[in-house]
Amino acid sequence: MSLASTASAKDQPSLLARLFARQELALLVCLVLVLAFFSATVENFFSVRNMTNVLGQASLALTAGIGCALVFISGEVDISIGSLLATIALPLIIIMNDTNSLALGVGGALLFGLIIGMVNGYLVAYAGINSLIVTLGTMFIMRGGVYLYTGQRAISDDASLDSFIALSDGRLFNIIPYSAVIAIVLLVAFGYMMQHWPFGRQIYAVGGNQEVARLAGYDVRRVKFICFIISALLATVAGIILAARVGSAQHTAGLNFEFQVVAATVLGGVSLAGGIGSLTGMALGVLILQFLSNGLRGLGLPTEWQLVITGMIIIAAVAFDEAKHRRANGG
Amino acid sequence: MSVDFLHPGEGAPIDTDVSALEMRGIGKRFPGVVALDNVDFTLEPGKIHALMGENGAGKSTLIKIMAGVYGKDAGTIRMRGREVDIKSPRDSLKEGIKVVFQEIALISEFTVAENIFLEGYPTGRTGSIDWKKIRADSAALFNRIGFNVDPAARTGSLPVSQQQMVEIARALAHEARVVVMDEPTSSLTPNEVSLLFTVIRRLAALGIAVVYVSHKLDEVFEIADTVTVLRDGRHISTRPIGEHTNDTLIQDMIGRRIDNLFPRQRGAAGSKVALSVENLSTAKKLIDVSFEARAGEVLGFFGLMGAGRTELAKAIVGYDPIASGTVTVDGQRLAPHDTRTGVRLGIGLLTEDRKSEGLMGELPVYQNASLASLGAFARLGFVDKAKEHQAVQDYVDRFRIKTPSLFQQIKNLSGGNQQKVLISRWLMRGLKVIVVDEPTRGIDVGAKSEIFALIDRLAGEGLAVVMMTSEMPELLGLADRIAVMCEGRLTALMPREEATQEKILNAAIG
Ligand SMILES: Nc1ncnc2c1ncn2[C@@H]1O[C@H](COP(=O)(O)OP(=O)(O)OP(=O)(O)O)[C@@H](O)[C@H]1O
Ligand SMILES: [Mg+2]
Repeated sequence: MSLASTASAKDQPSLLARLFARQELALLVCLVLVLAFFSATVENFFSVRNMTNVLGQASLALTAGIGCALVFISGEVDISIGSLLATIALPLIIIMNDTNSLALGVGGALLFGLIIGMVNGYLVAYAGINSLIVTLGTMFIMRGGVYLYTGQRAISDDASLDSFIALSDGRLFNIIPYSAVIAIVLLVAFGYMMQHWPFGRQIYAVGGNQEVARLAGYDVRRVKFICFIISALLATVAGIILAARVGSAQHTAGLNFEFQVVAATVLGGVSLAGGIGSLTGMALGVLILQFLSNGLRGLGLPTEWQLVITGMIIIAAVAFDEAKHRRANGG
Repeated sequence: MSVDFLHPGEGAPIDTDVSALEMRGIGKRFPGVVALDNVDFTLEPGKIHALMGENGAGKSTLIKIMAGVYGKDAGTIRMRGREVDIKSPRDSLKEGIKVVFQEIALISEFTVAENIFLEGYPTGRTGSIDWKKIRADSAALFNRIGFNVDPAARTGSLPVSQQQMVEIARALAHEARVVVMDEPTSSLTPNEVSLLFTVIRRLAALGIAVVYVSHKLDEVFEIADTVTVLRDGRHISTRPIGEHTNDTLIQDMIGRRIDNLFPRQRGAAGSKVALSVENLSTAKKLIDVSFEARAGEVLGFFGLMGAGRTELAKAIVGYDPIASGTVTVDGQRLAPHDTRTGVRLGIGLLTEDRKSEGLMGELPVYQNASLASLGAFARLGFVDKAKEHQAVQDYVDRFRIKTPSLFQQIKNLSGGNQQKVLISRWLMRGLKVIVVDEPTRGIDVGAKSEIFALIDRLAGEGLAVVMMTSEMPELLGLADRIAVMCEGRLTALMPREEATQEKILNAAIG
């Protein structure tokens, strides 16, 4: 699908090797293995109900993961998204409680997300501060801010608008959770943009080689700035869905969420160094980790073990990837 | 109007009575270096203008200023009489200035076709990229030029020479009024160079102004209408090529004359075998290569692109695995993949691809130079800095390496000066055998003659020099014996006296 990740057929030996050269295919095989294993070992794992539930749970990471992947591909990182999830619930719930309007609440949340994205983007792209530092900073600031504002207490959603609640438990045709529908639509749209719109390719170029991109006439800073804005806006969308699920704004919302997303994105073959990876890969990474944790829970394994196993898988996957690249580069 | 190489005839013809580009009083300084001082440079439409000068003279800097990579400290730029303010590469591209940079500037993860259209993707009505058109146009472009490159290949997987062709094609993919080529032929074969020249002439016929930077005098005499020479950042001369001879051009460039490019001081080679290679084969390229190099001789290897010279160079110093055969240095077997033993036995390689295999761009000049010989400067396990600096300074003086100080990051040196630092690296540690792969690529005549003299002296001091080259004059002027390769095999091995250009070429074709 992407021109960028298709190597020329000539220098590749066998069909099998060629298939495994395609990151997405290898990931798909992994996903199928995970599904097969748990279908055989866990009762009701492979049921429509469980599958769609997991999809619904995965939709937060899928949505925010798009932004995370975009920022990675541009050669930067954004770890402020977990805190952003908690933060934007404040304007969302407060405005809805005051106005009884979902549209105004969502508008307020998006505006807030936009500002955060602009702050992150400005500090990284124009002020030239390292993106890990910048987003680490805004992560703490936002988390602290929410805590200062709410205290221990959650601010609950008193408006209880039907349309808002539908975001958490509504299902399209009574099967697919709306949150998953939103994630899939966004994935398809941004996936298309990354491969077929000049801006998408500019992101790859900037992450692939910043100096070359500049020589080709790209505004490197603007590209990065926009990636941070997209990332914050998508995290805002995820935050709105999360707020609908928990029915409140609270300071613990989305804790460690950024690391789940980063883990899935890296597992999906999106390189931290920039320029490499695809949204398909990221999505497969999210699904693998989500089904894995669902299945392990089905086996009765405690959460601690899930963490340990997830960690091992990520390191193994990245190590495998490294080895493959080294072989491909013949060194 | 500007002109499109791929679709000539579309758009109005270029008016030829105004200068395409006029740079006046350009000044540029870097910390510790005046790279350009009050330089004038004027390009006429439809004319091919060579820009020449020693390494570090300021050629690339001047080009980077017109390309918007560097801002200028002084001076003005006019295009067709109108003053322009070029603040970024984007501005420059918009003015129709297309540059093939000296250092390859491509996204290695992208396909060739995508790199060619990096500057602006053709899009359909919906704003989506028209990949079909990109592939078709790239193929058409290569066809028109005559280069053989697969537009669907991943750029990073291609050899340097093909990447250079991609760079050239890219400069022609969009409408242009000025096309600049900064040493575009450094990795091309003679055949490809002549294809490029046909293209350049066609560009000129379309009314495009062409800037051509090269250290190869014969190329410049063949292609250029006008020559501008820079020296130490100053404008020395601008003359029609007809007014120049080899000597006047060299005189302008280095401020002195070179009487003999290949002065031979050394005596006859000894009989002691320093390097012996027997039945060497590798998985990828080499087939049953055997030869000996004697102390005190220069053994020159000639071959066309892809003949296997670089592979051979890497195999004999132990960088690359070998499938069968043996390499013996000074009587001792060298195991493949064992560069440490190689270093201990005294065999070193000066690579062809200095950017990715030799340089450590962020490190200062002195560390790049002393890297392989730190042991010599050690005292009780610590590096004796004063001794180290002195040794490097000696080489900087001897090769006239142009650097503001030993502490300059090497990536800021001009291409030729980087090469000189790398040569110093190997010379600094005593060697028995030195393998040099295209030692004068991108090096100016003055430095070339110094490097030739140096190779001569090294052989005179008893080293065996194995030199891979695609420069015929260099081969004939320097080597005691000449080996020729073709498709991984050794096809001829003859003493210099018996060699003729024709014999060598025949063996190279196989
Ligand atoms: N970014 C930089 N920082 C510091 N010094 C620089 C930088 N770029 C170039 N220089 C210096 O400016 C001078 C001119 O360099 P330039 O690259 O223009 O030379 P050149 O004529 O292209 O040489 P070559 O033939 O070796 O390519 C050199 O002394 C070089 O060291
Ligand atoms: Mg240069």
